[in-house]
Amino acid sequence: MPPRPYLQVDVFSKRPGCGNPLAVVLDAEGLTSEQMQEIAAWTNLVETTFVLPPTQANADYRVRIFTPQREIPFAGHPSLGTAHALLAAKQIRVQKGEIIQECGAGLIPIRIETSRIFRRRLFFRAPAVKNIQTFDGENASAKAVFSALELGQLAPSLVEGGRKWWIAEMRDEHALRQLNPDYDAITAMSKASDSMGLCVFARCKEQDYQLAVRAFAPAFGIQEDPASGAANATIAAYLLESGALETIGHNYRVSQGREIGHDATIDLRATRQDDIWVGGECQTVINGSMNWIDSK
Amino acid sequence: MNISRRFMQCDVFADYTGAGNGLAVVLDGANLSTEQMQAFAKFTNMSETTFVLPTSTSEASYRVRIFTPASELPFAGHPSVGTAHAVLEAGLVKAGEGRLVQECAAGLLPMMVEGSGKDRCISVRAPRGKIIPHDDTIRGLLNTATANMALGSLPATLVNNGPQWWCVELADETAVRELKPQLHEIALLTQASKAVGLSVFAHSDSANYQLVVRAFCPDDNIPEDPVTGSANAAIAALMHECMVLETIGATYTASQGREVGRDGFVQVRIDADGEVWIGGKTQTVIEGSLSWD
Repeated sequence: MPPRPYLQVDVFSKRPGCGNPLAVVLDAEGLTSEQMQEIAAWTNLVETTFVLPPTQANADYRVRIFTPQREIPFAGHPSLGTAHALLAAKQIRVQKGEIIQECGAGLIPIRIETSRIFRRRLFFRAPAVKNIQTFDGENASAKAVFSALELGQLAPSLVEGGRKWWIAEMRDEHALRQLNPDYDAITAMSKASDSMGLCVFARCKEQDYQLAVRAFAPAFGIQEDPASGAANATIAAYLLESGALETIGHNYRVSQGREIGHDATIDLRATRQDDIWVGGECQTVINGSMNWIDSK
Repeated sequence: MNISRRFMQCDVFADYTGAGNGLAVVLDGANLSTEQMQAFAKFTNMSETTFVLPTSTSEASYRVRIFTPASELPFAGHPSVGTAHAVLEAGLVKAGEGRLVQECAAGLLPMMVEGSGKDRCISVRAPRGKIIPHDDTIRGLLNTATANMALGSLPATLVNNGPQWWCVELADETAVRELKPQLHEIALLTQASKAVGLSVFAHSDSANYQLVVRAFCPDDNIPEDPVTGSANAAIAALMHECMVLETIGATYTASQGREVGRDGFVQVRIDADGEVWIGGKTQTVIEGSLSWD
């Protein structure tokens, strides 16, 4: 097999190393599912994607997404990074500012924003938020988590988008950045409520971002996520529902990951519950080819 | 600034891609700061990332700095073998009479290059292994960590060859392959004894290899390492010290990694001076350019 085009991309990132990394294998036709899984285990990144020709007429490309352990139908950061890699390799062309990704979760629109000030930014439309349950003080495992937090004005809630997240507003940015989370308590809460874990956020003043976010999913082996796509969409849905976006703005910017040595920038577009977009810049870090010779 | 640097990601101790231990190599690492190197090593998330630099002495073929996602290392086996492969592939150096000298934080290390193409084998002389005595407290932790193991005839020993490895001989190959390590107990032992991990090994009757090895580093967040140069060197030093190499030979092949979906082979040689050499084949997986500045 000839070498395949390969890129390693940093997603939600204004400079290489700030965001969430992704490996992308272009021209992945001919690789078996087993080989894709082996490659994803070998690259050792949170996700590796494989680009294939679309099977549906209106899709621009098809992608399969693998963690080192298994294939997943959809995730935000791999979708943006894959679209970026295809644009960087000039393998797709943008019509009307939008491209359509075919993946395990169906067809996902990806929007491209360009302006004089910002470099190209890509946005995916997040799965619609179905259910927002406000914390009523009864749930014992959630109470154990929230009683230890310096909470802000909105009540903590369990929000179900693509996945379920507990969301809590912190008093201010300082309280958020200083937080030493109780991973055991978060794990217990996450298991009791069948949710990913806890997202905390704080409104920020006099910054070039309006919200600071941290996301903890220790029950899934992720103590803290450097840059969360779908989780930020659930926060946006929650803020929209509560009316808080009237003051924050329906287009707002998030800072995430500084506490773990990253510095991700995530942009939100949230005008309606069924129309929430999450995006940011992507940086091409490695551009080359992959030679996978499976001669067992 | 948009500087493009040559980059390679290869698979070390591997007969085919995916069989060994991955390594990221930046072939022109000059003018990157230590912080930039550390940040890139965190980004690749490979067990090690190396940066090739101009030599500071004419005796050296190349100079390398070695980083894990968390810190810089003075020396490690698989990054040395893989970096030598990368500089040869990239045409940055030539191996005169099959020899190279690697300059790294641990000093000047001689390397051997044998064969060519896909089967080329590169070996590095490992720092000399020393046996480290342990007290009764450590013995208690050792007994707990090894309680579920079918032990072999050599006593479990702590060996220092840069890092410190527990080397535990098991009764036979099956005992190694089927072992379900008690990771928590191993972490307590390695923490208390300042060891990087615990390795188990046994002789094998296989036609392709003479030793089977596994290495566990739970305290470093690596439950099981796929293929480990320094652990193999420590085991060889121990067998040499205990004079049990007659049965296996002064040159042998170790199999490691099958239990974590890999299939690595480490070539081990103990030379006439008692120095341990570890080597293997390396496959180039990714070639390209890096933008990190």
